Order: sequence, then structure tokens, then C-alpha cells
Amino acid sequence: MSTTDTQLSRRDFMVRSMATGSGVALGIGFTTGTISGAHAAIEPAEAFTPSIWFTMMPNGRTTIHVVKAEMGQHIGTALAQIVADELEVDWQDVSIDYPEGSAENFAVYGLAYTVNSGSVTTEFDRLSRSGAAGRIALVEAGAALLGTNVEDAVAASSRVTDSVSGRSISYSEILSQTTIERRFAYPDDFRDIPRKSPEDYNIIGQSMPAHDIPSKTNGSARYGIDVFIPNMAYGALVLPRARYGAKAISVDDTNAQSIPGYIQAVTVDDSFGKCTGWVVAIAETFPAAVNAAKALEVEWDPGPHGDVSLEGLLEEYRALQADPEVGAPWVDQGDVDGSLANADDVLESEYTTDMVVHATMEPLNATVHQVGDTWHVHTGTQSTSFARMTLTAYLAHFLGKPAEEIKVVVHQRVLGGGFGGKQDYDEILAAAYCSHQVARPVKLLQTRETTFATSFPRTPTLHKLRGSIQGGAFTAMQHDIVCGYMGPRFSVGKAYGSDWLQLDADDGSGRDIDQWSIGGSDHWYTLANHRVRAINHDQTTWAVQASALRTVSNSYNYFVVESFLDEVAHRIGKDPLEFRLSMLTGEGTSRGIPNAGYEPGTGSDYYMDRLWISLPWPSEDSWIPYESATVGGAKRLANVLRVAAGKAGYGKRMPKNHGMGIAVSAAEERQSPTWVAGIAEVAVDPESGEIDLQKLTIAMDMGIAINPVNAVAQIKGAALWGASQVLSERLTVKDGAFEQHNFDTYLPIRLSQVPEIDVEIVESGHHPSGVGEPSSTVVAPAVANAVFNAVGVRMRHMPITADAVKAALKAT
Amino acid sequence: MVALTINGYSYLVDAPPDTPLLWIIREELRLSGTKFGCGIGLCGSCTVHVNGEAVRSCMVQAGDVEGTSITTIEGLHYADNHPVQQAWIEMQVPQCGYCQSGQIMQAAALLSANPSPSRDEIVEAMDGNLCRCATYSSIVGAVARAAEIAGSEA
Repeated sequence: MSTTDTQLSRRDFMVRSMATGSGVALGIGFTTGTISGAHAAIEPAEAFTPSIWFTMMPNGRTTIHVVKAEMGQHIGTALAQIVADELEVDWQDVSIDYPEGSAENFAVYGLAYTVNSGSVTTEFDRLSRSGAAGRIALVEAGAALLGTNVEDAVAASSRVTDSVSGRSISYSEILSQTTIERRFAYPDDFRDIPRKSPEDYNIIGQSMPAHDIPSKTNGSARYGIDVFIPNMAYGALVLPRARYGAKAISVDDTNAQSIPGYIQAVTVDDSFGKCTGWVVAIAETFPAAVNAAKALEVEWDPGPHGDVSLEGLLEEYRALQADPEVGAPWVDQGDVDGSLANADDVLESEYTTDMVVHATMEPLNATVHQVGDTWHVHTGTQSTSFARMTLTAYLAHFLGKPAEEIKVVVHQRVLGGGFGGKQDYDEILAAAYCSHQVARPVKLLQTRETTFATSFPRTPTLHKLRGSIQGGAFTAMQHDIVCGYMGPRFSVGKAYGSDWLQLDADDGSGRDIDQWSIGGSDHWYTLANHRVRAINHDQTTWAVQASALRTVSNSYNYFVVESFLDEVAHRIGKDPLEFRLSMLTGEGTSRGIPNAGYEPGTGSDYYMDRLWISLPWPSEDSWIPYESATVGGAKRLANVLRVAAGKAGYGKRMPKNHGMGIAVSAAEERQSPTWVAGIAEVAVDPESGEIDLQKLTIAMDMGIAINPVNAVAQIKGAALWGASQVLSERLTVKDGAFEQHNFDTYLPIRLSQVPEIDVEIVESGHHPSGVGEPSSTVVAPAVANAVFNAVGVRMRHMPITADAVKAALKAT
Repeated sequence: MVALTINGYSYLVDAPPDTPLLWIIREELRLSGTKFGCGIGLCGSCTVHVNGEAVRSCMVQAGDVEGTSITTIEGLHYADNHPVQQAWIEMQVPQCGYCQSGQIMQAAALLSANPSPSRDEIVEAMDGNLCRCATYSSIVGAVARAAEIAGSEA
């Protein structure tokens, strides 16, 4: 199978070492051009792009290259487990590295973007194939060196063994004694690579200790905030009242001049539409910068959003919802209008949800400096690629240079929390601008207060639901959603030529619907007549800078859908569990699709292939099909619901003012669902309205749990994220500004509020899907439903505060 | 100028005495394992030991802790092998990890004052330390495990 004399096409994959002996690597990658001739094996031709997925050194050390961000999910360890299992490498020989974000690495590794609980889902297939390809090449080379048949050679624990004679040779010895050049033609060879059956996994499914954990117990992990560059100055922000759109008119630094260490005030160039109205106080130390920031006197024009308030937005939401002509159908099945017209009974409810923010424990920060022609960025970001692209565009804009002449390298750091909150790049832009102004490296460090003030929250939402009941049966559902789409704000994709985030409306009219803002409302219940009308409120998008927050729209849409279905069940006198199971039949659009949809025109070729993958495709060609996470459809949802109900003892007698509530969810995306059911047990104090969340039971089918201990930790953390949202987190806007600025008024869950959490992993063996977010989506509706069962009041606003429960009880 | 003793070393730092201890530790001495979280003593990310007690270094002026013995996460154990650190790895506690230096310092101070705390005592002692990844269930288990490890090492 040697191909040294063969012209390789761009789509061939190679496993090869470039020479025997030390200092060379066995990498696997795909070729970006043609190579030919025997010399190609020892001279890394320009055209060859090595080491996309992993590199094995002659000493046997294998490094998995991870372009995903480490933000608490231990993704590097999970991805390494996937490669290592198929490669049959000893886990002790495995390490991880994280390529920096440069234009060169973008060409090699593709888009570095960590979102959507999508890393395992999208990487599993290619990583396991790449590991298997490496194993095949090593087994063939090892068999040749052992003088045996390939069929008799088996790989395990970094060794190839002749199963007839029992003689063996280590991977290290193979790489030291020979060269490897094994081609896998795309797509046929790669598709046919034999992979292990799940029962043969020995690394996948094991709870390998996470590679990044030891450094997080001794202070040695380096976050963005821990960057120190020689001659570095510090920047602290001075912000206008309005979250977005203000303009600094004048800056008076007279009072700052006397602060020791003060350097200067910089008004950031905001003509790019970012960092609007930002002024930065630059000083030799951070405390001096903060003091100077307080001493600066800045006058602003508040801009177009200076009078925005939550109440005003909701008023406009209601007016939009009342107009039948606005919006576009995200789901439009059957005859909803006819069903409603002929109904015996129509159930109508309005739901609202507040804004919430990421409030990562690490305040936002970036350090930027210029060395020669290159701008270096040090930060922890969910996308080094978009950080680099955004800064490049900004620098081109304010320097007046062509983008091609600007070189940016993003040095990725560990993220002190992500949750969707580190995919904006304002600190980077402002730090770069300041660095340019003071001609020194600048570390722009936000305080907790400015981190809140410049945050990118989940949009406030309004939902109007109508359920049609005929002959005691639930026959139709209409769900109108009004919110600020996040898509239009994430313009970077469009600027770089991809139409990401925006999907067409279901009626073919081409009216844009932002999947990230509406997804989840399409749910997996079989319902003949179902319509979701999506309505964008554009000012919200800009005024609050609406963004993606852990589970994105699933967090509010499942709260609403699962609460409303409980209302319907009670209205028609059915048990909420039985009612749900009767509709989780896996028929029609809820059946799941046979593969990930790489035939054009199917619903799922959108995200997985064109956006989330970390591979630069040489053309519009797609990856070969692999099993979709949707296989099984709603039947898998019914299964986890039964499991959770059984574990929680659903139906057991509860004391007075205690209740149990259930909910299901299939976050994250329609194309990458993780099937999850949650049951909450609460006790409600009828006097104060206080909700005591006592227990959560979560059952989840993610197909394959790559690392079960970590999966359970992620599921518990996400469930508590959901608990925190439904019980206490609330961000409000008044006069264009957020009203909460620190942990005295914005209240994430604390240890003493943590309920008992019982987690059951249901391993169905299907294609793995993500575990970092989905469990959070079932908690809010489960709690709301439990409150109803405890004290008989239906809470239709998130968060559910004690005052609201008390008021609702009073009204009954 | 402030004179501080941190992790057994003496430092003379050119900073005003009203500078929060946190910023001297982090940005001047570059012991960056101690983290900045909220600046108002409500999250616990900046927890260090002053004479063995857990304090929020963002709330302490450097001039007020001259003459004390200050310990940061870097100085908790000479080989990073304090029972709490062992338990944190064994139980795989950290997720993003940003708050964990503070959590570990808080837990270590608890165990030195109370070698075998009850669950309620653990919850009470650790309640001031926020974890946005909500590793709380693991933290409670790991503090109890650390107490066991410390007991068996004693």
C-alpha cells in the first residue's frame, strides 16, 4: 500500500513518519496538495499538512492535538480517550496539547470553536477513525518487522504482538526501526476502516483522570488573568451607563494625574460597533488603574438604547405577539387554526423569562502586545479562530491596513468558566487598541462590576401558548415566542462568508429564524397540529447584547413547553407522566433520522458539517456519514423518563406542601440531542413562598459516556446551573444599563442550597452526544411542575421567586 | 513599602499599604494561583491563610498583615500533596478550576481547626466559596475524604 510514488489527492489521509530515528513524528492528517517521489517521506513537503489529530514520537509518547477550549468540561481528556482507544496506545503514553490560534494552524486544524455541547458529538467519528488508521499502519509495520502476517498481528497497550509466536514489538521500536507511509483514500478507505465494537473499548467508558485537574489543585493552571508580559501596563474600564451604543464625548483626567502609576486614559475606537463608549484608564498596576478609572470624568452621549428598560421591552414584545402578521413559523405542522377553531376547550397561557448571565468566576480579561508585525493575544476564549478573525478585522479597520497584512496569534489559556460567555472579543479589541496607543503590552482586566456591566446575557423572552382540547384529547399547540435573536449580533460568520446561525423559516419564505434563539420549542412530542411562531425584537438584540448562555434557547423553551404540557395534562385530567409517554412515540418528525444527514437537504447537515467541525474542508465536500445522535428519536426520551420516574419513586405519597414535578428535554440541538429526564422534589412554605429544592433525579441517554465520572460531574453541575436559574438568578435592565453588578445582587446557587442529586446514565450505545449542558434544561420546568403539585399554583415566570409564589398563593 | 511573609519567604514590596493583599500576591509577586473573583469578599476565589486562618485577600489591606504568616495555594504543601489536594484529585473535583484554589484553602483551614467535620460543618465552612461550575457535591465529598486522608497520615 506504499504510495510514495502516487499522486495524492487533497482528500487522502496519511499516516506517516518522515524518517526513522529520533526527533520525527508519526502524524495523521490529510494532504492539502500533491506529493510525489521517495523523498517526500523524509522531507516534509510544503504540501503535506501533518499531525491534524495526533502525533506519536519514536519514544512512544503520543500527543493528541486539541483545538477545543478547556473550560471545565475536560474535553481534551475525552477526545484523547477516543483516539487512544482505537490507536491501542497505553493511556500512560498519552498527553494533550492545544495548538495556538494562528492563520497557519487554522489551515491545519480548522475552526477552533467550543460551543453547543458539540465537541464529542462532532469529533467522535473522525477521531476514532484517525486512531484506528494509526493502529492499522502500526500493525502493518510491526508485522513486517516481526516477519509475520498482518492478519496474525494484534495491537494492544502500545505494542504489536504476533498472536502465533507471541513475539512482540513496541510502537516505539517500530517508529525507531522503520518509516511508515500509509495512505487511506477518501472516502472509500476511510469509510471502511475497521473500528472496535463498544464491548471492546478499554479506554472509552473508563473514568480516566482528567489531564487538566492536577494543575487546578496547586495554583499552576494558567488562565488568561495569569498572563504577565515584561513592561506590561494595566487597563481598567470606565463605562457609560448604556450597555450598548453610547459614545464618549470628552474625557477629563485631571483628578487621575495625581495617582501614582497613572499613565493615560484611552478612548477606545468604537466605530467598529464594539466596545461602545469604552474608556480605559492605563496604569502601572491594576489597583492604580482602578483608582484612576474612578477618578476620570467622562461625558457620554447615551446613544439609541439609553432608555431601554425590561418593562418597556416586554410591552413591545406583547404588541408584536398581538400582531398576527409578524414573525415566521419555525414549526408548522397540520391544521393548528382548524383545531383551535373546533376545540371544546382552549387553554391559553403566557410565560416570561428574565435575563441571566454567565458570570464566569474568572472576570473577563485579555492581554495584547505587538512584537514586530505580529499581534499576540493571551486570553481564554471559546474560539481562538473567531478571536483572531475579529481582531484582524478590527485592526485593519483602525489601522487602515489590508487584513492580509495583519498577523494575529491567539495564545489560548485555560478558561475560568465559559458557559457561552467567552465567545465575544471586546476585551481583546480594547486591549489591542490600548496597546497600540501606549506602545506597550496591555493587560485589560475587568472588575466584577464591569464584567457584569459588559456582559452578554440570555435574552428576555415572552411566550404565548394555546392548546386545543377536543373530546378530552390534546389536539393542537400554538407557541408564539418573542425575544431578541442573538444571531444578527454574531455577524462574524457572515463577514467571513458563511451563513451560519440563520436558518430559513419552515414555510420556505426565506424569513430568517435564529435557531439558537428558538430551538427547543420544536420538542420531540408527536403532535399532529403544531406551530411555533418565532418573532424577533431587534432592539433587544442590540440594547442588551443578547447572546448564547449554556443550553441557549433550550433553557427557556423547555421551561415553557414542559410547564405548559403539565398544564394541559391537568386540564384534561391525565397524569403528567402518562400524558408525556403517550406522546413520546417516536413517530413522524420525532422518529430521529437514520444518519447525521450528510445528504443535502436533510435537516441536520447544517451544524455538524458546515460549522462545528474542527477540520478545514478542502471543498464543499462533506464528511462521510455517521450515525446521528437522533437515532431512536423520542423513544429514547420516553425511556429516560421511565428510568427517572422509577428511580425517583414517581407517584409516591408526598407530605403536605411537598411536590414532585417531571420534565424531559432533548438539548442541545435538534441534530445533536442528548436525551434527558428530570424529576424535582420540592417543599414550599405556604407563608413565605420559599421553595426548598430537596432532590433532583436525572436520567440521561448520551449514547456512550466517554468518561463516566466526568459525565456525572457535568450532569450534576449543569443541573445545579438550571436550579440556580429557576430559583434565584435574575438580570434586569433599566435606563439601558444592567442593574446587578456583583454577587450581592446577582445570586448564583451556593453550597448550602444544593439538593441531593441522583444521576442515572443510560448507555444505549448509540453515537455519543454532549453532557455539559443538557441536564440544566429539565430542572426549571421540573421545579415549576413540582411547585404546582405541592401547593397548586402555576408559576409562569422564570426565575420563580418566593415573592412570586407567595403572591400566587394569595391570589388563589 | 510593605513587608510580608508569604509561604515562608520574606518580601519587601513597593506598594501603598492600603493595597489589597490580593493584588500584591497576584500581580506583584506573581503567585497567580490566588484568584480575583468579585473584589467584595463574596466569592472566596482569593482565599489565603493568614496565621492559618482563611481570609479573603481582596478584603485585606497589605499593611494590616505585616508581621503575619501568609500562605497561598502555592505554599500549602511543599509537594502539592496536602490531604485536601490529594482528595481533590482523587475525587476529580475541579471543572474550570478557577475557584478551586480558594476552595482548597478554605477546606484546609477548616480541617486544621476541625479535623473531622460533620457534613453540616463542611457546608457551613464552605458556603462562602462560590463555584459557578457547581462542583459542590464533589466538594463536600472531597472535604470528608481529605479528613480521612489526614487522619490516616497523622
